[in-house]
Amino acid sequence: MSWERWRIPLMLGPTVLIILVLFFGSLGFGFLQSLGFQPQLGNTELNFDAYVSVMFSEEHSSRFWAGLLLTFWVAFASTFISAALAIAIALLLRRTFFGKRLAVFLFQLNLPIPHLVIAIGMILVFSQSGLLSRVAGELGLISSPRDFPVLVRDSSGIGIILAYVWKEIAFFGIIVMAILQSLGEDYEAAAQSLGANRWQRFRYVTLPLIMPGLMSASIIVFAFTFGTYEVPRILGVRHPEMLPVMALDFFLNPDLNARAEGMALSIIIAVIVLILVLIYMYISARTIRRG
Amino acid sequence: MTDVTVKELAPADRGAGKRATGKVVFYATVIFMCVVLVLPVIAFFINAFAFRWFYPQLIPDEWSLQAWQRLGLLPPAGQFSIENLFAQWASVPDVVRALGLSLWIGFLVTGVSIVIGMPAARALGMYSFRGKRLIEFIIITPTIVPPIAFSLGLNINFIRWDLALEAAGINLGLSGSVLGVSIVHLVPVMPYVVLTLSGVFANYNADFEAQARTLGAGPFRTFWHVTFPAILPGLFVACLFAFLVSWSQYLLTFLIGQGRVITLPILLFSAAGSGNNAVIAALSLIFIAPAVLILLVSSRFLSGESGAVGGFGRV
Amino acid sequence: MKLSTLKNAAIAATAALAISASATAQDLPGFTSWDEVVEQARGETVYWYMWGGSDAINGFVDEFYGIPLQEEYGITLERVPVADTVDVVNQVISEQQAGATGDRGTVDLIWINGENFFTLRQADLLYGPWAEGIPNAALVDWDNPAIYLDFGRPVDGYESPWSSAQFHFVYDSARLDEDELPRSYAELSDWIEANPGQFTYMAPGPGAFVGTRFVKQLFFELSGGHDQWVGDFNEDLYNEWAPQVWQTLIDWQPNLWREGETYPANQSEADQLFANGETAFTFTQSPSGAAPSIAAGIVPPTSQAFSFNDYMIGDFNYVAIPFNAPNKAAALVTANLILRPDLQAFQVQPENGFCCGWGIDVSRVTDPAQLEAINVAMENLGDAAEDPNILAGALVADIAAEYQTRIEADWERYVLRGEPLPQ
Repeated sequence: MSWERWRIPLMLGPTVLIILVLFFGSLGFGFLQSLGFQPQLGNTELNFDAYVSVMFSEEHSSRFWAGLLLTFWVAFASTFISAALAIAIALLLRRTFFGKRLAVFLFQLNLPIPHLVIAIGMILVFSQSGLLSRVAGELGLISSPRDFPVLVRDSSGIGIILAYVWKEIAFFGIIVMAILQSLGEDYEAAAQSLGANRWQRFRYVTLPLIMPGLMSASIIVFAFTFGTYEVPRILGVRHPEMLPVMALDFFLNPDLNARAEGMALSIIIAVIVLILVLIYMYISARTIRRG
Repeated sequence: MTDVTVKELAPADRGAGKRATGKVVFYATVIFMCVVLVLPVIAFFINAFAFRWFYPQLIPDEWSLQAWQRLGLLPPAGQFSIENLFAQWASVPDVVRALGLSLWIGFLVTGVSIVIGMPAARALGMYSFRGKRLIEFIIITPTIVPPIAFSLGLNINFIRWDLALEAAGINLGLSGSVLGVSIVHLVPVMPYVVLTLSGVFANYNADFEAQARTLGAGPFRTFWHVTFPAILPGLFVACLFAFLVSWSQYLLTFLIGQGRVITLPILLFSAAGSGNNAVIAALSLIFIAPAVLILLVSSRFLSGESGAVGGFGRV
Repeated sequence: MKLSTLKNAAIAATAALAISASATAQDLPGFTSWDEVVEQARGETVYWYMWGGSDAINGFVDEFYGIPLQEEYGITLERVPVADTVDVVNQVISEQQAGATGDRGTVDLIWINGENFFTLRQADLLYGPWAEGIPNAALVDWDNPAIYLDFGRPVDGYESPWSSAQFHFVYDSARLDEDELPRSYAELSDWIEANPGQFTYMAPGPGAFVGTRFVKQLFFELSGGHDQWVGDFNEDLYNEWAPQVWQTLIDWQPNLWREGETYPANQSEADQLFANGETAFTFTQSPSGAAPSIAAGIVPPTSQAFSFNDYMIGDFNYVAIPFNAPNKAAALVTANLILRPDLQAFQVQPENGFCCGWGIDVSRVTDPAQLEAINVAMENLGDAAEDPNILAGALVADIAAEYQTRIEADWERYVLRGEPLPQ
């Protein structure tokens, strides 16, 4: 039947088309622009000037490399910390106890709250005159806002990491809780009957079982924290600044040449993340084959 | 139930006192965790009703509704009456307009993404075919390529397509319009919808559909009475993700909406520079409220059995 | 020389205006008379893009302009809030890049000045010249270099003034006595040394022209005068004084808030540091001083404005119309309306929320009712303001836009990132 032949392409068609045209089309156009393609300005010759300028010119290079380092640090730290905390909390909330529903709800509460709002919340809570600083003042731990540690708008990205941790704990959390629930307790019970202690049960039974889902979620979170604009814009400092902020600054610069540099920067961000993801997929595929 | 298993697993020789201490520690940890996680929300509530809440006040000296008055949601101080309140709302304050627009775009994007994404998810979840890995990769890419990378190119592409369409006699006006913004929201939304739903379809047994059809049900009735109830929990999760991704979108709305499509994130971002914490906090609360309501409705579907969240394991 | 030619041209234009009846528009490209403009604008919507960070300003625009535009001209005002005016500049450039010319753009009117204006003007992306052709241009002092030059660049009729502002400081009278206040950069240096950790300024750069202005004024004081900085960008002059300026700012660093590791990025951050007692001063641009911020509860009610004795930069801000604005007629009517004396009188009073000063020259107003409105406003500036005479005595004009670009880049390099100063 000819209908059967076209069934799957028809089912997939609209989704794939949207992503190909809007996403890959724009990515491609952005790439062309990063090569200096600006037909309206009579510029059709392609070159890598913008890339060289961003990475190696005297004007931008120190900004770029400092930004790259910060971006890596923030993305890795936020992904790792939020994943670890989410596992811990999910294991904790697995027990049945009074008020469990409320605790689970509060655990998920930050999931629907937009990143932008969380970032603003971090300022209200963690700045030197924020909620925590006032509590510390009330308790007599500090005598003026200056004594409170610098946790937001700091040059090592702590504030940005805090915001991502707050937000992504909830994202990791629902994934880990869903996996745990679908697994049940049989495997661990079996391990315990074989004499495994609590840590061994976690390390050799639970963790491997939640690992695939966790790693997939980690990729999404890593890529997201690597390339999101709002959070570092609100919680970052001028120097060093994360790459997405730098890219948009270039792009919004009225000088049209800076626009090519902004595009180049955004392509660099995309390439870095893609390479990391491919490395991960390669490693995980090999591990699975071995296993 | 699971808790019974846990208790049975506990070593029998453990003393009752030790168990009580363990319980206290456990509750203390859980309460601490909950308080820490909701700190931002607490800060929003205090700020939104405080006036001149400067360091070192922990509890504000002055409480006020000025933020809500400034946002045009309440009549000015001293002029409160039901008529004034109605008049205020009848003039549609900016915040209300932005809230409505955000909700409208969110629901529109959710609906469209489900209609488009469900067949694709079904294909990916239930069939194996040549090129499946490639298709999966294409659909997943928007979640692993940072948003900034394609947003910038999309901005100019949209204006160009508009002009091309206009030349062809079609006046769509994609850039700077609600339609255009809704269409681009589909890009970050589609992967989440397809991922969650394909997880659902992977655990779905199509035999029931076949039975229904043998019993004489048409495709619509089959979907409504058989498929739909079976995938409902996962569908809820997909809708939740779709809505939330659209709801919190700043960069795409900003670049494609050209400043004219003023959703809540745009309003909040622009207010963030005002320095009036009370107004910022009030706006944040308005921004949080609908999303939390939706979470309340769908939270029970998030935990487990639907298989929806498991879809993320397919990246 | 260029300046004087321009000035003559401006005088000629104003004189010509004075002779012709104020209702006959001159040289409004695309229109033959003001009546035609008003007629064509009726029933249209004007999209006015402006910085939207202040709900007080937003409310002022909606109430004091939105209503009369609708009632008197049948024009719907759509205020489009942006986080930074450079976003609008970028958008107009994107539109041109994509080929959206004629009236197929999206922006009708922009609240603009300085570098953003310069960028659009240079790329020939503005409609005009029109600013001296609208009826209320007769109330604007187009002979004043602070008006016909914007950051040292000729306006050439491509933007029309809205209001004025002047840099000065705010302190908390509950914490400091008036006689302790520094009144010059030299005194400020001593004050910083005596009060470590209590001073900071806004990082010069995008979104914080106030910070750039703070540094420019230091250039004036160190070099001993403002006159030499007027006119075109002078590279040699800049290079002569820049190292001293950077050295001064670097010397401050150990005693600044957070040891100068970071600086507030914008007005709101500076205000909050001040309000919470982390720093002793913040900044204001408003002739009514701290009053608008006090009313909003952003700073303590005991806040007071104060000025140095000299070199406080003041300037005008304007509205401009992009070359591809879809409703140029409605934009022109709006630009004209905001210069109406009674509306100008509302904008200077702190209780109305708009923080800026006069855009018109009030001495040119003759209508008795309008004069009365102006007098009421003059008495209503509030007591958190600095004495207008002191402000006027310290007033200097802003300088060429290139200085801003250089100062922002070099400040980031030498002061913020700490690269070694060139010898």
